[in-house]
Amino acid sequence: MVFANRRATVCFIALTLLGFLFVYLTLSAGSVDVRWSDLGWRHVPYDNMQQQIFWEIRFPRMIAAVLSGVALAVSGLSLQTLFKNPLAGPFVLGISSGASFGVALSLLAGFSFGHLGVLGAASVGALVVTAVVMWVSSRFERSSVLLIVGLLMGYFIDALVSLLIANSDAESLRVYVSWGMGSFGRLTFDGVLLFAMAVAVGLILIALSVKYLNAARLGDEFARGVGLNVKRGRALVLLGASILAAASTAYCGPVAFVGIAVPHLAYKLFKTSNHRVLLPGASLCGMVLCLAASLFGTVPLNAVLSLVGVPVILWVVIRGRRGI
Amino acid sequence: MESLLKCEELEFGHGKGFTSPVDFELQAGEVVALMGRNGSGKSTLLKTLCGKISALGGSVEINGRSLKSLSAVELAKNVAYISISKAAPERMTVAEFVGLGRMPYSNFFDGRSKEDLKIVEDALALLQLENFAERNVCELSDGERSRVYLAQAVAQQVKVLLLDEPNAFLDIPWSHQLFKTLRQLAAERHMGIIVSTHSMEYASKYCDRVMVVEEKNVQCGTWTDAEQMGWLEWTK
Repeated sequence: MVFANRRATVCFIALTLLGFLFVYLTLSAGSVDVRWSDLGWRHVPYDNMQQQIFWEIRFPRMIAAVLSGVALAVSGLSLQTLFKNPLAGPFVLGISSGASFGVALSLLAGFSFGHLGVLGAASVGALVVTAVVMWVSSRFERSSVLLIVGLLMGYFIDALVSLLIANSDAESLRVYVSWGMGSFGRLTFDGVLLFAMAVAVGLILIALSVKYLNAARLGDEFARGVGLNVKRGRALVLLGASILAAASTAYCGPVAFVGIAVPHLAYKLFKTSNHRVLLPGASLCGMVLCLAASLFGTVPLNAVLSLVGVPVILWVVIRGRRGI
Repeated sequence: MESLLKCEELEFGHGKGFTSPVDFELQAGEVVALMGRNGSGKSTLLKTLCGKISALGGSVEINGRSLKSLSAVELAKNVAYISISKAAPERMTVAEFVGLGRMPYSNFFDGRSKEDLKIVEDALALLQLENFAERNVCELSDGERSRVYLAQAVAQQVKVLLLDEPNAFLDIPWSHQLFKTLRQLAAERHMGIIVSTHSMEYASKYCDRVMVVEEKNVQCGTWTDAEQMGWLEWTK
């Protein structure tokens, strides 16, 4: 146990340092040199172009990477534990498909979501699917039923999106495909607070269910046997994970990779099943991964995460299997 | 002797009762063997005794309190039901697995005190698992895993332990070891243990009494009672 604690401490320190390094690099990287001493606090109108670039582009991009990395990692880890399925993730429940449908309605079919625009559309779509998932969850105890319902809903919604795509014009289609590739550059400074609040709500709900998550690995019967309220635990995890995934999808597009892969990375690094360690550990892993991906600038986010992330995760998993 | 578990006119089953009403009392320090054919309702009876399945009728008392009056946490501090046939979780060490036995005592965020850690260490030591603490549960043999499950129940500090066919996958030496451990737990920790098994040999050698589920009836008594009354004729 002492060994595990020491390992976790080392991993936390290393990931935190890496996180700070990538935050610095994300804020510094770009074609325009930004002198830190000239920046000051944000005040509009800006004194110079450097300030505008920093506060309107680089700062929101860094925040988007940090928040979506944390949100997707925690959401993925919680759902993998809940379903006892290493392939589960925010996308399996159809939440991403719901968000995509909302965006498709806005971009392809011209539905107006008021001043919230595409981001509001994604949120509405994701939350509608979450509501359905929560309703199913309240009626069926078995997690596998929920998993199947989530997958089927995803397929159904994807089919609706296909219909919208088939009947859309070229320009609308281009904008929709661009959103689908994922990007941290879409978040504006005004959206930072709302994104942060949504992620905070999701994290609080997951933190409240940490005890249930620790027991859920052994099944709901075991969780009941040690005195836990399984229905409440499941509801908290589902709602929290859905809010986290919905917020990230709304602001950064559908990024599937982080939610599925990062929990595996966290397990390998921290070598524990205790969610009091795993949740912050996975958050740091997700944050570092997304910050690193944000350095690739104009390359689509999903492409960067898959091309760079898949070999890295595969290496970590295979290395772990060999016990090296 | 201290009565740990008492059921009166208990009816159990899924929808309709398996047997006629059951009256039974389990004392501290006692190991009782639960025997019967496959499908006779042994597991259902055990699950009813620990509240996992609601009784169809009658009452169950744990430490003098009605099962229905106990909160989920209070129940978890008094009774543990163990089914070793379940698949072991991946990526979970023995120490973590045994530590889950402290959940009824941990705080809202599952924080553990030094006392909790000490109790887990003691449970590991009692079941001779100190050298396995950092190994994954799923990598262990069936015999080792059965000790890990027992250690979790020891860490849970329950008074009543209900085991569902714990030696189903164990070889002969491990089975003897398991039943010796149950006797040790009952004697040293004053636990009351009900263990379902198909082995007459282990049951008669290590258990104080036998409870037989057969022909829609549940009979309970000493081994002499069982032989004289012919409760175990079906095994021949």
